[in-house]
Amino acid sequence: MRITRPRSPLEITWAVWRALFLREAVSRLSASRAAWLWLLFEPVVHVVFFMVIFGVIRQHTVGGVDGAMFIMTGVLGFFAFRNASARATNAVGANAALFAYRQVLPVDAVLVRAALEFVLLFFVAVIVLGGASVAGYEALPQDPLRVVQAGAGLWLVGVGAGLVFSVGVELVPEIGRFLDFFFNRSLYFASGIFFPPLGIPQPYRDWLMLNPLLHGVEAVRIGFFHQYQTTPDVDLGYLYGFALVTIFLGLALHARFALRLVTK
Amino acid sequence: MIRVEDVHKRYQTDHGPGKWILSGVSFSIPRSVSVGLIGRNGAGKSTLLRLIGGIDQPTRGRIDRQCRVSWPLGFAGGFQGSLTGRQNARFICRIHGHDDDLRERLDFIRDWAEIGAAFDEPVKTYSSGMRGRLNFAISLAFDFDVYLSDEVTAVGDAAFKKKAAETFRTLADRAGLIMVSHGEGTLREFCDAGIWLHEGRAHWFDDIADALRQYKESLPK
Repeated sequence: MRITRPRSPLEITWAVWRALFLREAVSRLSASRAAWLWLLFEPVVHVVFFMVIFGVIRQHTVGGVDGAMFIMTGVLGFFAFRNASARATNAVGANAALFAYRQVLPVDAVLVRAALEFVLLFFVAVIVLGGASVAGYEALPQDPLRVVQAGAGLWLVGVGAGLVFSVGVELVPEIGRFLDFFFNRSLYFASGIFFPPLGIPQPYRDWLMLNPLLHGVEAVRIGFFHQYQTTPDVDLGYLYGFALVTIFLGLALHARFALRLVTK
Repeated sequence: MIRVEDVHKRYQTDHGPGKWILSGVSFSIPRSVSVGLIGRNGAGKSTLLRLIGGIDQPTRGRIDRQCRVSWPLGFAGGFQGSLTGRQNARFICRIHGHDDDLRERLDFIRDWAEIGAAFDEPVKTYSSGMRGRLNFAISLAFDFDVYLSDEVTAVGDAAFKKKAAETFRTLADRAGLIMVSHGEGTLREFCDAGIWLHEGRAHWFDDIADALRQYKESLPK
């Protein structure tokens, strides 16, 4: 009888991540016929929506930046957080069947989904901004490294939130409804997608600056446009610190409740 | 070697924790020994098999596998309905670390399952027989040291049953088996040792015949 060497935990995890990533990519892009099209159009639709509502912005600039590009950078920055956290939150329930294979852990599904969203958003951003640039907008980042730094920070907060809430919705399904509101409404409006924090009077601006996503979104804009005027309170350290804490908390929750998540 | 140490299991029901299905099960199965699990309906045979396969986790206690253990054959819960048979098979090959020879394994699975063009259709369109075939074919595509079988020969039509039984015989020669079956003939044919599950405890017998005798004596006359 041939004796096979058991694989090391690292080998298994790597194999699982690869397999999950490819699988998620297939089902994400082929879920419906126009899934990939919506992926590209969603940020554009948000921009158009605000352009219509604030028709004035078309002629004006915000903080020294063209109105459309102001919203576009805000939407893409916010999506780095929202896509990762919203998709990762549902990763455990959506992949429940896979935990039949003991190699696959709930935390794998969460991390892989978040990683896929990062890759997808990267391509979406390149295509959309490339298109805007061709159309004559000033859409190319002047300090790309700073944009990546801010975008990665927003994504990491998304990973942390996804880790925490993926355990949360499994243990207390009732919070799912609240989370949808939280991600898509409250944070959407509080993260400076369509307004500059400088336009908010004190003391409300300080309250708003408690939201780490606002720091990230503003940092994305600073990276895009040298001339962009914003509050000096923007602090990437705050964003990254928040990411560190939520990721740690999320991993701890996954370690603590690993058993509860796979057994029903 | 599979070592089961003081395993307890109960399921969560709508009215709080259910009754203990397994309470303090301990045994170890040496490599390449084939074992039959016997006991009455509800004695916890399938539960124990799922625990050994890692599909479910014990409430208390631990299970140590120092070899490659399959999932229970005939178990078809691990498919994603919206993906095709091929995509599901590919995923399972990948998590078991077979990226290099993916193509050959997929060919093997397609040929063995004999489900034709349905291999490239979503699994949700499959009949339960087709699911069973695909699942069985996938588990044959890997060299496990120990195969777990839960009434595997019970799915599919006559031709498939025959094929499955033959394959099973060759499997038993090269790997260990842990099987749940109500067929006495099947158990005697494939298994050396037996585990009799009774009232939440496991009793080990070196000879399957002794286990079967003990089991029959426990049945109400």
